[in-house]
Amino acid sequence: MEFNIVNPKTKSELLGAIRKENHFRFGAGCTDLLMELKKKPEKDLTVINLSFVKDPLFTGIKKSAKGLRFGAMFTAHKIVVNEEIKNKYHVLHEAAFNLASTQIRQVATLGGNLCTASPSGDMACALVALQAECELMNTSGKSRMVPINDFLIGVRKTALKKNEVLFGVAVPANKKTTTNIHSGFIKIGTRRSMECSVVSLSYHVQLDKNGIIIQAGIAIGASAPTIRFAESACEFLIGKKLKTISQEEKERFADKVLSYASPITDIRATAWYRKEVLYNISKSILE
Amino acid sequence: MKKELKVIGKPIPKHDANIRATGKAVYGHDIVMPDMLYGAILRTEHPSAIIESIDVSEAKKLAGVHCVITAEDVDVNNIGYKRDHPILKTGEANCTRDEIAAVAADTKEIAQQALKLIKVKYKVRKGIYDVQEALKKSAPQINKFISGKFENKNTAEIFHYEHGNLEEEKKRSKHIVTRKFTLPRMTHACMATSNITASFNLIDKKLLLYSSTQVPFLYQRDMAHALKMNPSDIRVIQPVIGGGFGSKLDMHPFEPICALLSIKTGKPVQILYTREEEFIASPIRQPMEIELTAGVDKAGNFTFREINIVKDNGAYTSWGATTPFVIMQAFSSLYKVNAVKFDAMAVYTNNVFAGSFRGYGNPQATFALERVIDLLADELGIDKAEIRLQNANRKGETTGQGLHFETCGLVECLENVISKSHYNKKKSINKEGRFKKGIGLASMLHVGGGAKIYRSDGCGTILKIDPYGYCTIITGSNEIGQGSETVLAMIASEELGIELKKIKVINTDTDVKPWDVGVHASRTSFVAGNSLLGAIKILKEKLNKKASALLKSGDSEFEYSDNKIISVKSNDSIALDKVVREMHFSEPNELAIADYFYEPSSKFQDKDFKGNVSGTYAFASQAIEVEVDTYTGNVKVLDVYVAQDVGRVLNPLLLDGQIEGGILQGVGYALTEELLMHEGKILNPNFHNYKMLTASDIPNIHFSPVETFDKEGPYGAKGVGEAPLIPTAAAIANAICNALDLEFLDLPITPEKVLKAISLRNTKNNSKINSHSL
Repeated sequence: MEFNIVNPKTKSELLGAIRKENHFRFGAGCTDLLMELKKKPEKDLTVINLSFVKDPLFTGIKKSAKGLRFGAMFTAHKIVVNEEIKNKYHVLHEAAFNLASTQIRQVATLGGNLCTASPSGDMACALVALQAECELMNTSGKSRMVPINDFLIGVRKTALKKNEVLFGVAVPANKKTTTNIHSGFIKIGTRRSMECSVVSLSYHVQLDKNGIIIQAGIAIGASAPTIRFAESACEFLIGKKLKTISQEEKERFADKVLSYASPITDIRATAWYRKEVLYNISKSILE
Repeated sequence: MKKELKVIGKPIPKHDANIRATGKAVYGHDIVMPDMLYGAILRTEHPSAIIESIDVSEAKKLAGVHCVITAEDVDVNNIGYKRDHPILKTGEANCTRDEIAAVAADTKEIAQQALKLIKVKYKVRKGIYDVQEALKKSAPQINKFISGKFENKNTAEIFHYEHGNLEEEKKRSKHIVTRKFTLPRMTHACMATSNITASFNLIDKKLLLYSSTQVPFLYQRDMAHALKMNPSDIRVIQPVIGGGFGSKLDMHPFEPICALLSIKTGKPVQILYTREEEFIASPIRQPMEIELTAGVDKAGNFTFREINIVKDNGAYTSWGATTPFVIMQAFSSLYKVNAVKFDAMAVYTNNVFAGSFRGYGNPQATFALERVIDLLADELGIDKAEIRLQNANRKGETTGQGLHFETCGLVECLENVISKSHYNKKKSINKEGRFKKGIGLASMLHVGGGAKIYRSDGCGTILKIDPYGYCTIITGSNEIGQGSETVLAMIASEELGIELKKIKVINTDTDVKPWDVGVHASRTSFVAGNSLLGAIKILKEKLNKKASALLKSGDSEFEYSDNKIISVKSNDSIALDKVVREMHFSEPNELAIADYFYEPSSKFQDKDFKGNVSGTYAFASQAIEVEVDTYTGNVKVLDVYVAQDVGRVLNPLLLDGQIEGGILQGVGYALTEELLMHEGKILNPNFHNYKMLTASDIPNIHFSPVETFDKEGPYGAKGVGEAPLIPTAAAIANAICNALDLEFLDLPITPEKVLKAISLRNTKNNSKINSHSL
């Protein structure tokens, strides 16, 4: 595994490096990149190492009335220990907490998890449920906002252009009338750490003071070429009282979630298993 | 019986814990020698193929390459327990691991580049990856080095054992159960990948090897045979070893290959496996199918067992083929049974070959046996704990196979886990809802005082005390992480009254240390401990004599404490180092040194595999509670209750380590670990998809040592290393079956298998489905 490495220290150095380098990959936490390059070495590759870039908008978190804005380099560990995320965006907390291991969470970044664009990305799945937006910055320093569903376009494919870098991620605020949040992340695998999701389910359901569902975000991972937002399942929930959803409605909801799945059979699980489990865990979040 | 001891029985940390934890330990990967080259191995592209030609010319031309070898370039013997394994393959490839060529170069990168330049022409064959296919008359002979010993050309090894009157026992059985179990390939996944550094001296023609073998003296002999050298011209030094678990019992082709590269170049050569290579080319637990028929009479006594085992031998024969030695002990002697007929056969295929693995076939045997015991209990309508207690082995018993249990803690182990786990309450807990709990029991029997499979099962010790009162133990036994050197230092400290920090253990160099058969069969603390005690006794006689003379008392009985030799009668004392100095420097000038060779009382088994093969035997029981998620099929192991007859606890801290590590390995065997293969190729050669469990998966472990004080063991101790993993998969399987009222016949019991079985029952509405019908 051989590559050149450049270490920009500021945003302008970073944008300069993107302009200058011809054949490059970004390295954030490098938890996926190094594995990939070990398997498939690329000739004359330059890794633009993002970990020395000192810019609070790239590394930090900011809270506003609109919601939370993460720098792309915000780590899984920082998400896990953030109280605001734990209380108000629990799905993201759980997704980050279920990621790999304590050691890897220290370096793995939100941006890296998104840009790897794996169908089984854990934090990415949570962000889809939260209907986040990606801030892509081009080499002239101009940003465009792309809804996360349009950002993740295929297996290991994103909407990122060659002259762009994922600079931040914006998560919309919960509704003002929300008084209760039913939010979580279910990861299916065989061991508790160092596991790649066989199936995952993110849910972020907002309830008003009467327990009526006023907003819902449901996303599924490892069940299709990209993480899918289960729109019809979300719509199905709106207006229903969470505590009184009938068994038949739970099953209809699970069917709706399942309609977004087109899983494959691989050595980790069969398509049959992925569907069966997805149906069961979808039901379980309403139980 | 339990004498008051000062050091033995105390929770003393491993003597090398600090250097390991701080990264200062020197593993094989850390060794650098002047002018050292890096070796790399080209393996076959196809698990079964004719090798039409090998062209190494381009590789040889690459700058930085010193040597490229193929089978054509070397004059060597086959290796392996049956000598059916060529070091470098020529003419044909029979296994995905097959070594075609090897390179030594200035750097690892150049060596890898050189491998890519080697051109091999293959004519791909349809391989044989199924034992039943291999046994067909029409099947080609897979291994050409084994000739006509057995009727079928693809039979690698056969074992037959029996005792008692089988037909009679069948007739008087009230219930008979037959099941066929399938056991997976599991790999050791040692944290340190395989490694070797070889340095051949062209001047004196001597070979120095830094090797992670578990059995240095057997290895020295095997290496000499392979390379056609004199064993004593080969010096084996063991660096710190990052995991053995049996994987380093066989000598593997990369080791003589590394030696050959050094012999050809006259320079030191190092070969280090990558993690992927480790998964592909290091040994595995032998996969097998076990068909077990067993009976029980109306009173609940076990009557007979009939066992047929077919093992996938892979392309070459390793020690793995001899696991029936141990498997038959479980079937012949775990719980009382009047008649046993046992047949096992290892069959060549084009799959990867096994090696030895902690438990040596016993986890497979125990899984089958303990599952069938649950079924027999169900048939008879008797409680599963009761049937085990009723049939449990007892102290003083000599089994049908001739194993003699001078001490036996099985009943105590069973009673302990049944009571502590609240088995009787939990076995019939409410099974409603999504999460279903279940509890399972299993026991095990394993050798606990070595195993006489080689001409000697002994161990030598040289013991010296220097003029400063420090003690050096030069022991034949070696350390692969199990903690035996700490135990030896504790024994010396106990007996000689010397502080632990003044005790050194030398155990890594075949040029220095006396003979020992190696680390296996949970034998080291037992055999090396007894050997050390023998040497201490001799040395004390010398020291006592001198002390008596120096104290001018004429006393003959002394105690050793606080670096002093103290007269029992007068309480007069003299510093130990002073006594040693007087021995060395005053007439008649003798060394404070002693040597001793200990041979256990065990006997070779006869040709019918009968005889008392071990110095003593270990027993254990486990009760394991699980929770099955019927939505996902995931099994969570909640609590593991373990009681093990360890003879006597020598060091509770190290014992806990063995128990916890073994259990997690057993949980992996039960639920997650399997090396998946398709047509001879390994599909998951990485930790990503080989589901070895991690620290976060460790269940609650409640361990109770059972002390039976066996007179053969050091301070009464028995071997403990392998036992903790042996009954774990069986107990977990029994717990899952208890939770779901379904049967599982294959390991590992993955979430998918569980969900499939639940779903099949729901659709068929049939409460008794076994996993073979999936």
